[in-house]
Amino acid sequence: MSEFIRDGDVYSLDLTIDEAHILINLVEQLLELLGEGDFHHHYDENDPFAQLMSQLKAAPEEIAPPEDPVLMRLLPNAYADPEAAADFRRFTEPTLRGNKQRTLRAVREALSEMVDLEQAGIVDDIDAELWLMAINDLRLALSVRLDINEESHDVFESLPDSDPQKSIYAVYFWLGWLQESLLELLTQ
Amino acid sequence: MSTDTLTHTELDISAMFDKPWITIVWDDPVNLMSYVTFVFIKLFGFSKEKAHDLMMQVHNNGRAVVSSGTREEMERDVQRLHDHGLWATLARDDQG
Repeated sequence: MSEFIRDGDVYSLDLTIDEAHILINLVEQLLELLGEGDFHHHYDENDPFAQLMSQLKAAPEEIAPPEDPVLMRLLPNAYADPEAAADFRRFTEPTLRGNKQRTLRAVREALSEMVDLEQAGIVDDIDAELWLMAINDLRLALSVRLDINEESHDVFESLPDSDPQKSIYAVYFWLGWLQESLLELLTQ
Repeated sequence: MSTDTLTHTELDISAMFDKPWITIVWDDPVNLMSYVTFVFIKLFGFSKEKAHDLMMQVHNNGRAVVSSGTREEMERDVQRLHDHGLWATLARDDQG
């Protein structure tokens, strides 16, 4: 059974190769959904051309709220008023998207390394708070697809094993358990 | 009379500028209670007790006001809450 381990300030994750593959798969699906908005150009900030370009970028174009309900949950409106929400999104959504992508990429990198090296299923020296956020975003994404509500655990238990949704529910509840166990270690 | 009017006007103007904005966190069936408490402590430096009380407010009332201040400050708080996957909005404090 997978679990987080804490040794002083050092956190690691003990999980099977199969579990690592499930996580990598989920992370990659979410990264794909978030798209490539995390572009870093390689000119430094003092470069006159880069400065000119960033001035031109000062008033970014309007960004429509995402159509996919998963993205709408991860990148929600900040205001009830649609006009204020659109204005806020225009200036902040690329940053929010970029932060989520960076978090997910770091998790993918750590997991891929473990899978490649087949290090007896241990992901060493992880950034616990970053993993906490990544797991949370994965749970949020799955919850939208599964339409999670207060009765979902009963639904999960009543599903026959042959139901293809059953394994997705299982992953969702497993991630919740994993997140809870990491929170317990973090708040010890 | 005139003094009263002046004071009244001054009050209105100061109310217009000082009217605080608030950050509201909304309940959802996914975020773990322990996670929401953890995020409140991490982002706002609340005591364990205060963070727990606010989390319970979100859970029981469907929403809770977690911070108040200028519009810019609240936009920053909402952004940080969205970074952590909490469902948050900001609004002008009309109850005040």
